[in-house]
Amino acid sequence: MSQSETLVSLANLKKYFPLTGGVFRKIIGMVHAVDDVSLDIYRGETLGVVGESGCGKTTLGRTILRLLEPTDGTITFMGQDITHLKGSDLRNIRHEMQIVFQDPMASLDPRVTIKNTVGEPLLINGIARGPKLRAMVLDLLQKVGLTEDHLNRFPHEFSGGQRQRICIARALALNPKFVVMDEPTSSTDVSVQAQTLNLMKDLQDEFGLTYMFISHNLSVVKHMSDRLAVMYLGKIVELTPYDIFRKALHPYTFALVSAVPVPDPRFSGRAVLLKGEVPSPINPPIGCRFNPRCIFAQEICRTDEPPLRDVGDGHLVACHFAGELDFGKSSQMEYAQTAEAEAS
Amino acid sequence: MSSSEDLVLSVKGLTTNFYTYEGIVKALDSVELSLRRGDTMGIVGETGCGKSVTAKCILRLIEPPGRIDGGQILFSDRDPKTGETNEIDILQLAPEEMLTIRGNKIAIVFQDPATYPNPVFRIGAQIAEVVSLHQDLGREVLEIRIRELEDSVKNSSSAEHQAKVREQIEHYVSMLENPPKPDKKYARKAAWAKAVDMLRLVRMPSPEQVANQYPHELSGGMRQRALIAMALACNPSILICDEATTALDVTVQAQVLNLLNELKKDIGASIMIITHDLGVVAETCNWVMVMYAGTTVESTSTKELFEHPVHPYTIGLITAIPKLHENKERLDQIQGTVPNLINPPTGCRFHPRCAFATEICSRERPSLEEVRPGHYVACHNPQGNV
Repeated sequence: MSQSETLVSLANLKKYFPLTGGVFRKIIGMVHAVDDVSLDIYRGETLGVVGESGCGKTTLGRTILRLLEPTDGTITFMGQDITHLKGSDLRNIRHEMQIVFQDPMASLDPRVTIKNTVGEPLLINGIARGPKLRAMVLDLLQKVGLTEDHLNRFPHEFSGGQRQRICIARALALNPKFVVMDEPTSSTDVSVQAQTLNLMKDLQDEFGLTYMFISHNLSVVKHMSDRLAVMYLGKIVELTPYDIFRKALHPYTFALVSAVPVPDPRFSGRAVLLKGEVPSPINPPIGCRFNPRCIFAQEICRTDEPPLRDVGDGHLVACHFAGELDFGKSSQMEYAQTAEAEAS
Repeated sequence: MSSSEDLVLSVKGLTTNFYTYEGIVKALDSVELSLRRGDTMGIVGETGCGKSVTAKCILRLIEPPGRIDGGQILFSDRDPKTGETNEIDILQLAPEEMLTIRGNKIAIVFQDPATYPNPVFRIGAQIAEVVSLHQDLGREVLEIRIRELEDSVKNSSSAEHQAKVREQIEHYVSMLENPPKPDKKYARKAAWAKAVDMLRLVRMPSPEQVANQYPHELSGGMRQRALIAMALACNPSILICDEATTALDVTVQAQVLNLLNELKKDIGASIMIITHDLGVVAETCNWVMVMYAGTTVESTSTKELFEHPVHPYTIGLITAIPKLHENKERLDQIQGTVPNLINPPTGCRFHPRCAFATEICSRERPSLEEVRPGHYVACHNPQGNV
């Protein structure tokens, strides 16, 4: 990971969705999906993004790619401010950034063959046509582990894992620098998931890609990422280069980690640390957004919003008491230490 | 497996096929399963391995083009009062007789809490419907009437009225042992009260209010809890959770799993958890069965399975999960994909993907055998210490 070169830089990025109601569809509120996110993504790294559903991780990914118009803030991509780009300028920059969606069946046109699906970006951008296009498509398909027989088939003829490979091939067609992976394996089985994750790591090395890897599965994100951002109600609460299963400084991160089922019966029966559910992002809590569910909440947490501050080595935490809280030991941590001791 | 154990459910040689235009999908092929009373059992496997089909067979919910073509599903029904057990083969029951078991003795919670409850009825009404369908509410109705009369005694000042009401109360108390069929108005009231009780049992905050709400007003976790309440409303002997926590966030999943663990102590039901997540199994189950392509491949206690997995497929499944403690560049993967069940592989259905396959594997189907005490595996070349 080269710390020096920043590929994507976000400054105070906000995305609000208006909420309408009444006879005249007046705006009656705002859903604060992404609220004041500042972040740098370095070239060649994988930035993982985790959080519960509705925390804004998908919206963040789509806003970076300008698939959604940001409400406020700036997005800088390869040193260029792309927040307000339009027309051909935007199209040109879009070569460099792609996305792989969660549900591969929904993101492939059922009436278009694989050859045309994967070839479409090449054709539209005038990169190749005719026999050359076919050769390029075949090359892409072979890179993701599909063969020539698959060229003229339709999406329904493939299994879930293969469909996801097709989506990955399509995303890589224009040789992008930055790919957002939006829950790419959440609809697949563990054995297929392992194949897809391995493939994505291989492709990252081969094409020199930078990934933003969005998922709600903590062990998958941890496996894939160099750095990890934990989101809660539209905000980044912790951004860490460390393994969150071992070192978590925000109480939310720790609670999230301790909810992951441990695949070892010796460490079952943990306490549930998170009571209740995520509050509505329409009227987020005042002060620290996590304060109603936080067992360590103090008076200051209910009034002042903690800034995301650096506690050393690029480890950013948005908590008034970062580093001062004693969470105890999670069963996940005990499991990891025991498994490690047994392995060595 | 041994018959001396107190089994609440025992499935033998269950075979189910789906007759489609493309051919016969051999969804289940001689599935063996036994569930001890009070146990929590996990059924693990990938998509299409027949976990959900097994659950649906147990409840006789297989619809055409599917058909159960063989085997036995023995359900041992224990009378809570007398303690007598009565063994029934579910596959031999008439459809009307099945109605007294489905939802009553054996209940199920499905995967998607968003589509399963009826959106146009209140939560309380949907739970009350289950209660009034399966339970004779005579006793509950009498109790409600006695309580009402007792209130009226407290509030009345005339001694004559009080004496009259007391007489009525005594009359009702004498009927408690052998309650008559309740009238509709009171039965509805009793069923609603029971629905609120069930919501309280699943730790729903303000159950009276939730009973009056519609499904869309609840969050996913609360909806799943309401569905568990509905399934538990008739004190079933077996509760089947078909991927009940798959659609939930980890934090909510942890709450629901904890609830199941707590309820197990309260209700005394045997629980069957169908999942593809081995972590969920490790957290909640004491027995686990691994399925692959419509067959049982391994069945043992959870502890044994994680310490000494024997079947190559189980080993592959365990190593394919990203581990919390490892910093591996690559995950171990099982090669290939799940076979098409219209033309399943001959012999052992796992052999085309198996690294340890020998010549016999493609020829002969392995039977489920006990390789270690309490550890059953269907494999010609079991791995690990056996």
